[in-house]
Amino acid sequence: MDRRPALLTATGLTVGRGGPPLLRGVDLALHPGEIVAVLGPNGVGKSTLLGVLAGLHEAEAGTVARAGSVAAALQAPALAHRTVRANVEAALGWWGVPRRDRAERAGAALRALRAEGLADRPADTLSGGEARRVHLARALAVEADVLLLDEPFAGLDAPTRAALLHDAASALRHPDRATLVVVHDRAEAWALADRLLVLLDGGVAAAGTPGAVLESPPTERVAAFLGFTGRVEEADGRVLRIRPAQVALDDGGPVAGTVRGRIPEEDAVLCEVAVAGGSVWVRAPYPGPAEGAAVRVRIDGGARYP
Amino acid sequence: MSFLGEMLWQALERIASDDGGLAATTWRTLWLALASTSIALAAGLPVGYALGRGASRIRRGGLIVANAGLGLPPVVLGVYLALLLLPGSPLGGLGWTNTLPAIVLAQTLLALPIVVALTAAAVLGLPAGLLDQARALGARGWRLGAFGLREAWVGVVAAALAAFGSAVAEVGAVVIVGGNVRDQTNTLASTVLLDLSAGDPAAATANVLVLLGVIAVLGATFTAVQQRRRH
Repeated sequence: MDRRPALLTATGLTVGRGGPPLLRGVDLALHPGEIVAVLGPNGVGKSTLLGVLAGLHEAEAGTVARAGSVAAALQAPALAHRTVRANVEAALGWWGVPRRDRAERAGAALRALRAEGLADRPADTLSGGEARRVHLARALAVEADVLLLDEPFAGLDAPTRAALLHDAASALRHPDRATLVVVHDRAEAWALADRLLVLLDGGVAAAGTPGAVLESPPTERVAAFLGFTGRVEEADGRVLRIRPAQVALDDGGPVAGTVRGRIPEEDAVLCEVAVAGGSVWVRAPYPGPAEGAAVRVRIDGGARYP
Repeated sequence: MSFLGEMLWQALERIASDDGGLAATTWRTLWLALASTSIALAAGLPVGYALGRGASRIRRGGLIVANAGLGLPPVVLGVYLALLLLPGSPLGGLGWTNTLPAIVLAQTLLALPIVVALTAAAVLGLPAGLLDQARALGARGWRLGAFGLREAWVGVVAAALAAFGSAVAEVGAVVIVGGNVRDQTNTLASTVLLDLSAGDPAAATANVLVLLGVIAVLGATFTAVQQRRRH
């Protein structure tokens, strides 16, 4: 990790929206060159935290120290009633960029997100995916030291999301910028982030590289949130949490079970299999075993908790 | 021809021949309304924007005052303003009794709650997060305000036209503070009173027709603005 001084440091933040605090005692530092993803269930306070980091709302307690400029793209791609280009140039004006440089900077930011073809469209004629592209380009255009993005891929259909994620992954990478991105699912964290924070139960429940956090979550609660849907109590009293990808149907497998439920997917069936001590989820090729069928599975991996 | 038809015909003739200083009265009316609307906008837009932005107790109180002000009877305002302008009263030193500035002041005070209340409503109706997003990209102070008002454009134009319309059509306060002196402080609407008391319904009708024309132009302008915004 880059060890230049942090561009933004939050210490002991308590944030809320008027009611009881959503998050307590959050410590966070964003360093130049890194992209930090924040993952958490709905309503945990991700957007509220981002608003506080951006300086839009006051924290109920704690401090935010900013050693550079901070720009944010909030969750709704709120664009003004003007053309895409005018929207980006307006943001550059707010940012204090001289008028003569705005057209070029706006053009470059739109190109970086492959949205240059939208430049002359009125913003209210854009599709959801196009608006998200422009929203992201506008936030990139100001070239802030710290960029905060709130679910930049929310509400997009799968192909649109994949395309934007691909473009954003390269556009967001900058050696001097610190980026914090609130993400909606694990795939986005994998695709973008150097570091992952998991917010759960009012605080930071896990932090580390996406690989470390997603492979071995620090607590069972975090594991359950991160898709370790299988849960088996072992003979020694410990709990094994397993992702579906770590389980395979195998006639010669060591664990016997019974299919308890089925969720059809695009080209597979996600099956819940009751086994001794709990249940596991396994993806079987379509059509998969019937409900009630006796099967054998092989478990390869998972995370153990006391 | 019936009495009404006869009167209408005479009124049109008087408009065509500019009888009784009709053109001068029309210009006076428009200038007075333009001046008072401009002052009301200059003062009311920032206040309306601020009231529409937040939810603090002071702002809510301001909204209540502005909304209540929409129902302020012009006669009440006129009476107390006229008293304030009398020699020896706080504003007596201005020497504005029965003058055009007094009319501008009265019209401005009547237009102000309209501008404030309608602007606040327009800003309240902006899409959630629009202004926060602008702040998150560095917009502050007057730039943020200008952006908000520009986005609330249709509502702001409605406020301006409603203020202008109220100023053009206002009679009670205008007559009380301006004196309704023919060829000096009369407006299209107040001249109707002069003409009727002089027993000249055709002249009154001529004034009414011009006034309706002005109102129709205002309505058409607002509709054009609304339509232009709907891509």
